Amino acid sequence: MKLTDRAAFEQYVAEAQRRWAERTAGDRWVVSVGISECSIAKGARQTLDHLRLALEQAGIQAEVRQVGCAGWCWAEPYVEVQAPGAPPVIYQKITTDKVPELVDAMKRGDVKADWALGVRADQPFEGVPPLNEHPFLAGQRRVLMADWGIIDPESIEDYIARGGYQAWIKAIFDMTPEEVVNEVKISNVRGRGGAGFPAGIKWESGRRTQAWPKYVIANSHEGEPNVFKDRRMLESNPHLVLEGIMIGCYALETPHGYNYVGGEHKLAIERFRKAVDQAYELGLLGDNVLGSGVSCHIRVRTGGGAYICGEGSALMYSVMGQRGQPRTKPPRSVEEGVWKRPTVLNNTETFANIPGIIRNGGAWYAAMGTEKSTGTKLITMQGPVQRIGVVEIEMGMPMRELIFGLFGGMREGHVFKGVQTGGVSAGPLREEQLDVPVDFDSLTPLGGMLGSGGFVVFDQSVCAVDFARYLQEFNRYESCAKCVPCRLGNPALVEIIERIRLGHARPGDLTLIEETSRPIIDLSLCGLGQVAPMPTLGMIRAFPEDFAAHIDEHRCPAGVCPVDAAAPAATAAGD
Amino acid sequence: MAHATHTDGELDLEPLKRILERDFRYDTHQDAEELILGACQEAQNLYGWVPQPAAQAIADHLGVSVNRVYALLTFYADFRTEPPGKHFLLLCHGTACYVMGSQRLIDTLRDEYGITNGEVTRDGELTLQVVNGCLGVCDLAPVIQVDHHTYCGRLTPDRLRETLEALKRGEPLEERNETD
Repeated sequence: MKLTDRAAFEQYVAEAQRRWAERTAGDRWVVSVGISECSIAKGARQTLDHLRLALEQAGIQAEVRQVGCAGWCWAEPYVEVQAPGAPPVIYQKITTDKVPELVDAMKRGDVKADWALGVRADQPFEGVPPLNEHPFLAGQRRVLMADWGIIDPESIEDYIARGGYQAWIKAIFDMTPEEVVNEVKISNVRGRGGAGFPAGIKWESGRRTQAWPKYVIANSHEGEPNVFKDRRMLESNPHLVLEGIMIGCYALETPHGYNYVGGEHKLAIERFRKAVDQAYELGLLGDNVLGSGVSCHIRVRTGGGAYICGEGSALMYSVMGQRGQPRTKPPRSVEEGVWKRPTVLNNTETFANIPGIIRNGGAWYAAMGTEKSTGTKLITMQGPVQRIGVVEIEMGMPMRELIFGLFGGMREGHVFKGVQTGGVSAGPLREEQLDVPVDFDSLTPLGGMLGSGGFVVFDQSVCAVDFARYLQEFNRYESCAKCVPCRLGNPALVEIIERIRLGHARPGDLTLIEETSRPIIDLSLCGLGQVAPMPTLGMIRAFPEDFAAHIDEHRCPAGVCPVDAAAPAATAAGD
Repeated sequence: MAHATHTDGELDLEPLKRILERDFRYDTHQDAEELILGACQEAQNLYGWVPQPAAQAIADHLGVSVNRVYALLTFYADFRTEPPGKHFLLLCHGTACYVMGSQRLIDTLRDEYGITNGEVTRDGELTLQVVNGCLGVCDLAPVIQVDHHTYCGRLTPDRLRETLEALKRGEPLEERNETD
């Protein structure tokens, strides 16, 4: 069905909302299973199949549907059961072996309270506490994640029933491109990829450049070794990102939009492509959308597993079918980007923020978070913590609350040592630094970084020297080898750390690390090269005792490094 | 994953050509260049690696030189220009897996199976690829993905050995994701 004008769209919205209201009226069986990469890995597809069969055999007439990830990776596979006349109950870790018992309980009209994560209600129900009181959810502010685990990510109707594409319609019919940019500026949303540059200012520079055609690109490459928020976004609510890119195109007055997705994220690619196809089918994408005179076309391009392609100019070369290697700036990409034309590149999460900003206004958005870091932030946390997953918090939440509140603190038998911030581009925080607020600016003075919001907690079994080698080795391996300081400096750093690790440190090795880092920081072309030595410098600053033990005593306190205890001491003159 | 080859082991280019004809149409040379990377991925998905005739077919279809295709195949880590072994192991070595012990798995594979990143065991059974990025299933860390679809998580060297031996014996791996 292709919609031809705004009235037809409004009619479609009314119909979608009516059907959504019917589904959620609470008078029928609805069983939803979260299907995303992390739940598939734990057998959610099998759970879905078994449920379908078991419900049929039990004679329960239920609508069995897939939804996206809800952020609680540790609770996968999860199943939401809406029974007639009862609030929806969410069950966790429903592997296929638990399906018969669950269906039996459903048939009896019972609730399996011991398997439940929570109930979608304000009051406890049959011994199941409200979902929103769960410590994982109580501290969250879900704006971007509002519909994760609620809508079917492969259904444009679900998205529209929940208010989707209202911002797109509002923008193209009721607002000028200048007004759109202005709202984004008022919101002060800063780039979610790590650099934190205000998106509105970038868009404005893109508008000012006098060259055509222009391009808008979403960076969904997500090659960082501890972040999975963008792919979950594309898996759980792809239309939200698509709508954001479309509004970006309108703001730049260009019909050319791209989403560049990391090639490894198969389900994210599949679902985003499907979203694009559905938007074309409905007439929300294409030429002269709903008779507005606005045209918009979105292409999907995929990467090939090179970390460097998350860097703006490298990504653009990759889009053009080249090797992804950054180039000298200026000209900046808003002046010369893809095919030497003005290009606005933002992170997936930044684009996901846009529809909300346009619907509710920039001021609504700016009221969330802190003064300089407005809005909410998706955070992923890994390591030996109780709960692993994706959360959305208002900017400014203390790191301690994040780790020990939402994510439940350490697993039994693990003692907290530190939390690595900023992926492979910054250093860790120690226990006594955890009261720092999580926002763009507060982590930096401590040697940390918000980055793209991926944090890794590590325990006492991790050695700071070994960890530094791991992070530095990552940056060595992923260096695109264009700039000499990065190409030669990173292997040199790895070599020095390696000899410290083996107990063969030479006098002055820590000074040598600093001296070797300087030219990499100062002379690399791209942002990734410039921060390549940061994890090592951060580890040395945060855990000098670990380095001293290796260098002076030939001992690895964590018992990880194969130190050579017989090596001669390094504490000679000159150290 | 079943890969498209003739029964006598010769490469069948027809499936790739069909995909190229269907999904990789273009109007301008500029559009064609944008499609090279995606076409390489299709070949990789189809054959498990990108054989030279497939690279040539991509080049011919898109009107670029085969050197241009190889420039990408040798730059981007996802592509293989040598045939893989019977089973494909994707070992996640992202930060979350590292702090949970993925280095010990890499050491086990090196010391006991004789393979490091990109290599195939002598018996042709196992290929190892180490992902520097992240498979995004960090709750299962440290984790490997076997034959493109099955995840085996929370591995120790012992459980890795068990898993690989089961794989060699041809046993199903579906139920190996105990997390607690």
